[in-house]
Amino acid sequence: MRPTAFTRLEEAVSAPHFPEADLLLRRGRHVHQDDGELYAFLRDAQDFLEPLYRRFGCELVHVSDGYFYLMPVSDQLPKRLLGPGEMLVGQTLALLYRDPETLRTAGVVPRVRLLERLRQLVGETELIHLLSPRKRRFDSARAAEQMVRDRVADAVNTLNRLGFLTVEGDANVRLLPPIHRFAEPVRSQGDPQEALERLIRSGRIAMADDESDTSEDVEP
Amino acid sequence: MSETHTRIAALAKDRIALDLRTEDVCFLAALQLHSDASGEPVFSDDRLVATFAQVCELVDPGADNVRSRATHAIQRMVDQRMLARIDGAGLVRSGDYALSPMAVAIVKNLLDDEALTRESLTLLTTALRAQLGEVKQRAHQADSEDEWRQGVIEPLRVTVRDLLAGIDRRARGLDEQHIELQRRIADLLDADWFSSIDRCESLLGRTTETLAELKDVLLRDAADLHTQLQDIGHAAEMRDAHDALAAVQQVSENVDRLTAWGQARQRSWSEYHRYVHGFLRDVVRLDPERALSQRLRDQIAGWSQRPFRLVLSDAEPMRILRPIEPHGERERVTRAHRRRTTELAEVQPDARPAALESAVETALASRPAWLSEVLTSVLPEIPAQQHYVVIGRIAELVATRVYLHRARRRAWVKVAGPLEVQDWQLGRQRKGLK
Repeated sequence: MRPTAFTRLEEAVSAPHFPEADLLLRRGRHVHQDDGELYAFLRDAQDFLEPLYRRFGCELVHVSDGYFYLMPVSDQLPKRLLGPGEMLVGQTLALLYRDPETLRTAGVVPRVRLLERLRQLVGETELIHLLSPRKRRFDSARAAEQMVRDRVADAVNTLNRLGFLTVEGDANVRLLPPIHRFAEPVRSQGDPQEALERLIRSGRIAMADDESDTSEDVEP
Repeated sequence: MSETHTRIAALAKDRIALDLRTEDVCFLAALQLHSDASGEPVFSDDRLVATFAQVCELVDPGADNVRSRATHAIQRMVDQRMLARIDGAGLVRSGDYALSPMAVAIVKNLLDDEALTRESLTLLTTALRAQLGEVKQRAHQADSEDEWRQGVIEPLRVTVRDLLAGIDRRARGLDEQHIELQRRIADLLDADWFSSIDRCESLLGRTTETLAELKDVLLRDAADLHTQLQDIGHAAEMRDAHDALAAVQQVSENVDRLTAWGQARQRSWSEYHRYVHGFLRDVVRLDPERALSQRLRDQIAGWSQRPFRLVLSDAEPMRILRPIEPHGERERVTRAHRRRTTELAEVQPDARPAALESAVETALASRPAWLSEVLTSVLPEIPAQQHYVVIGRIAELVATRVYLHRARRRAWVKVAGPLEVQDWQLGRQRKGLK
C-alpha cells in the first residue's frame, strides 16, 4: 500500500468528500483531475475503496490518464450501455483530442467541427441510419440534418453528465481525459479485434446485441 | 455617451474610410524607417518618389510607370490623411510632406514587436517608481493650484500614463507572442509529431519561466507603486486637491489592471501548459508513429459493422425521504359559510288589495245587474294608470261573489276613459258571502 491520508476504511467513508464521490461514481460519472478535491480524495482513499466497491460487484478503475470510474462486473448494481449516438460522438471526439489543431485551443472543440468530422468519418447516409435506425425516410434533407444535429446534441449532453467532456457555451465542448475510453480497443499495439474481445471479457465493453440496458433512444 | 454619438455621427457623415494596399503600407513603413534613421521627419517630393521606387522594386519588381504610380500613391495617402503637406504652398511648387500621427501609429503597430520581458518590465517599473518619487516630493511641497497642476497632475497624466501605456503595449505584445507560440507548437506537432516533443517542451518551459518572472516583478513593484501613490493621494487629500486625487486614482487603477493581467496570464498559461504536457505524455509519446489515430479512424468507419458499447454504472440516485415535520392541529377543510335565511325587514302592508275588495263588495251590495256597473262604481277611486290591471282583479272578485249569466253574445261597454270590457250579466250572490 502506498502512503495515504487514511489508515482505515472507516476514515475514508467518514471523509466529507465520500458521499459526493460515491454518488457520482455509482451514476457512471468519471471523476478526473479537473474535479480537484474529489479526485484527490479518490487517490487517497483508493486502497480502501477498491475492496469496498468489489463487495458491490464493481471495480473502481483508476486510469493513468488521470481519472476514476466505477465498472460493474456483476449485476449487483445496475449498469447501462452507451447509445449509438454517444458512441459515435465519443469516438470522434477521442480522435479530435489527438489532433494538434485541438492542442492550439487547449482541448476546446467547436460543435461544428465535431459534426463535420463525424460526417467525414461515417458518411451522411450511414450517419442518419445509425442515429435513427427505425426511421428510413425524412420529409426533407433539412429534416434529416436537424435530426442529426439533435441526436449529436443529446449525445454531447449525456457525455457531459458522465464526465467525458464539459459543455462550454452553445458552440464548444472541452474534452477531458476520460474521452480516451472510446479509443480503448485500438490503444494497444496488437490486433484491435483481439483487444475488443479482451475488453468485452473484462466487462468494460459490451456488444450492441445486448440491448437490455442500453440508453439508446428508440424512434417512435 | 452623447459626445460619442456626435463624434461617430461626424465620422459617418464625412464618409471616413481607409483603403491601404500592401504597397501603400510598405511605402508608409519605408518613410517611417527613413525618418527614424535620418532624424528628418519632413520629406520632399523627390524623396517620396525615390522611396516609393525602392518599395516598388521589392513589392512589384519590374513595374512600369513608377513615377506615375508614385504620384497616385502620394495623392492617395494625402486624401486619406496619412501624409500631410506642411509647406502650405499648394500647387505652386513641389511640396514638403510629413507622416500624420495616424500613419505613424499604424506603422509602429505593424513594425513594433515589443513584448514584455523581465528586463523591459524592470526598466519600466524602475522609471515609474523614480517618476512617482519625484511627484510625491512635489506633492508635499505644492502650495498653489499651479504647482499642483505642473508638479503633480500633469506628470501623473502624461509621464506616468506613458510609462504604464508602455508596459501595457508590451503586455499585448506578449499576448500575441503566446498566441503565436500556441500555433507554433501545434504546427511543430503536425509536421514532426514525435521528434518535435523536445522543442515543444523547451518552448513551453521558456514561456512559463518568463511569465513567472513577470508575475513576481509585477507583484513586488505594484506594492511599492501603490505605497507611493497612497502618499501622493494623502497629500492631495490634505490640501483638497481634487484633480490630483482623481489623477492618482486613475494611475492606481491602471497599476491594479496590470497586476491582474499578470496573474490572469500566469493562470491561463499554466492551464495550457498542463494540457500540452498531458498531450505530449498521453498522446504523442504513447503513439510515436501516429498509428493510433489511423486505427481510431478505421474503428469509427467500421463501427456499424461491429457496434460495441461502453459499459457504465447506472445506479439510481439515492432515494432521500422528506424529513418528517411535526405539525399542530390542522384546520378542517370546510365550505365558506353562506346565510341560508334572508334578513327580515319591516315592510308596510299593502292596503290596496283589501281596499279594492271592500270597494267591490260595497258596489255589489247595491245588487248591480252588469259588471260594467261595478266597474264604473269602483274605478273612479283608483288612479287611471292602474285601471287596466285593476279591471281584471275586479272581474275576478265579482266572479267569486256572484253567479254569472251565460250569454252567447256579450256587448262591449266603455267603463273608464278609452277602456272597454265585454260585459257580464250578474245573477244572485253566492252563499256564504256577505
